[in-house]
Amino acid sequence: MDLTTILQGLLTGILMAGIYALVAIGLTLIFGVVRIVNFAQGEFVMMGMYATYWLWKLWGIDPYLSLLITMPLLFCFGVLIQQFLFRPILHAPDLAQIFMTVGLSVILMNAALFFFTADFRTVKTAYSEWTLRLAGVALPMPRLFAFLGALLLAGLLTLFLSKTDLGKALRAVAQDREVSMLLGINPDRMYLLAVGLGAAVSGAAGGLIVPFFYVFPTVGVIFVLIAFVVVILGTLGSIEGAMLAALIVGVAESLGILFAGADLGLVVVFAILVATLVFKPSGLRGQA
Amino acid sequence: MNRVLSPQGYVPAVILLVLVVLPHLMPNPFYVHILVMMAIFVVLGQAWNLIGGYGGQLSLGHAAFFGTGAYVSTLLVNAHGISPWLTMWLGGIVALFLSLPVGIICFRLQGPYFAIATIGLAEALRLLVLHFREITNGAQGLTVPFKGNAPWLLQFDSKFPYYYIALVMAVATVLITRRMERSRLGHYLVAIGQNQDAAEALGIDSSRAKAKALALSAFITGVAGVFYAQYTYVIHPDGVFGLGLSVQIALVAIVGGVGTILGPAIGAVIMECFIQSTQIIFAGQYPGLELMVYGGLLVAVILWRPRGVFPWFARLYGWIVDHLPSPGAAQA
Repeated sequence: MDLTTILQGLLTGILMAGIYALVAIGLTLIFGVVRIVNFAQGEFVMMGMYATYWLWKLWGIDPYLSLLITMPLLFCFGVLIQQFLFRPILHAPDLAQIFMTVGLSVILMNAALFFFTADFRTVKTAYSEWTLRLAGVALPMPRLFAFLGALLLAGLLTLFLSKTDLGKALRAVAQDREVSMLLGINPDRMYLLAVGLGAAVSGAAGGLIVPFFYVFPTVGVIFVLIAFVVVILGTLGSIEGAMLAALIVGVAESLGILFAGADLGLVVVFAILVATLVFKPSGLRGQA
Repeated sequence: MNRVLSPQGYVPAVILLVLVVLPHLMPNPFYVHILVMMAIFVVLGQAWNLIGGYGGQLSLGHAAFFGTGAYVSTLLVNAHGISPWLTMWLGGIVALFLSLPVGIICFRLQGPYFAIATIGLAEALRLLVLHFREITNGAQGLTVPFKGNAPWLLQFDSKFPYYYIALVMAVATVLITRRMERSRLGHYLVAIGQNQDAAEALGIDSSRAKAKALALSAFITGVAGVFYAQYTYVIHPDGVFGLGLSVQIALVAIVGGVGTILGPAIGAVIMECFIQSTQIIFAGQYPGLELMVYGGLLVAVILWRPRGVFPWFARLYGWIVDHLPSPGAAQA
């Protein structure tokens, strides 16, 4: 295996890591604030992908431009999910919480199958095939755009959480619900905001990859599984941790595909999960 | 004698008798097939219940143990002609050994780790089976060659023997659950479920107790996987290792009522009726619609019936027992 191939694998992994980070940030934001492990997070990605696909197919709207439509739509969807499905089970046992989100995932995935069929769909844009070549290593432009878009959105979200009053209120609820209530913050509203934002950023990750990734009903499963490994490796609830972990997972998956075979990328990702649980279950940013 | 003659004694016997003669009352192979599937899901739901209900550790990957049993057995049966009556135990034991590292790694931790790790395990096994196609035949799956009526090979030309074997397995699993509930391990698990820290303070090794329950659960699930492979003659990685199966197993226990001896059995009967009727109603014409309905059912049960249908059933059963004659008491 020559150096160029390995460099190519590294590059592909790094570019994909941006997307994994964005999906994982959505997951970890919801977990951090609402304390619900959302097994339906992958379906937010899937919905972002289908929304982008249909906007392009029906009205010819550019996938990147349609983020301006899909993100608000998914935000509203997340708010509805929190209001009607998550709120009643906020203090319920783990069983209710986990299987509520599993049920939601099954519903959404199969709704996509029912309405859009199992067909694999692609979006062809003028820039879908653009590639930059650097010393024999191919840099596909849509992947680069997706990576930069994901970094931009993650950066904006971090700024929102650290600089604005609303963002600080959200983090306060994540840290301590009771104390934040004493400070006059309404946690119910922060929950709505967290699930809305979590759905919007994961949906945006879906929209960003549409120019180079197949759209199909069960596509979310891949992303939710990877996102789980990323958030555990990066410490549950930590956004910086998720970004660092996404880089590790993205590169490991890409190298796994290179060395073990295209169908074993996810197996390498699960190996990282096992290693994390054995050696540092609290994750990279964890205390113990 | 009084115990046998009281309703508490004879009602279970009557139920068991009904279960034994039931296929003869409706000998149509399609109905017997439904009964066999019900019995298999009684076993699976009950096995999930041991760790998910009593142990409070929610597995989303029980298909890992099911598929392991199915593949280990079918490979051995096909390659070496070993009797499935033997590979049934082997399949269960391999599934048990597979569960040990999962338990050791996850039960030290509190949080969603076990649910996520079990999904990962099942998915990794599915991908590995797809990858090593020289051994596993990849996505095409494995078939058990049909040898006609060969009881030694666990093959019959009628569905009745399968039903009775599945019924024995289902009743055995219910009895194992009852025994476990009343054992030291069962009491440990209930104590851990109520307050893990308090249970630990009393000297209970919680990870060990959970790992034991998981091992038992995995063993039973593996055995069921072997039986399923023999019954259907064909297994596919997407079917026996799929997330859909794992969710269905959990759904049986949740709809019935977790942490109860009979809840998963009732759940299996309800879910199988539900699945068969949706298949008849939608006739496979609308892909996705059936599973959408299951997902909806799961959400509805969580929102409005988090303890499953078992409480209703228990009340009905109590009412029946109260209103039946008790010849034993009359004699006394």
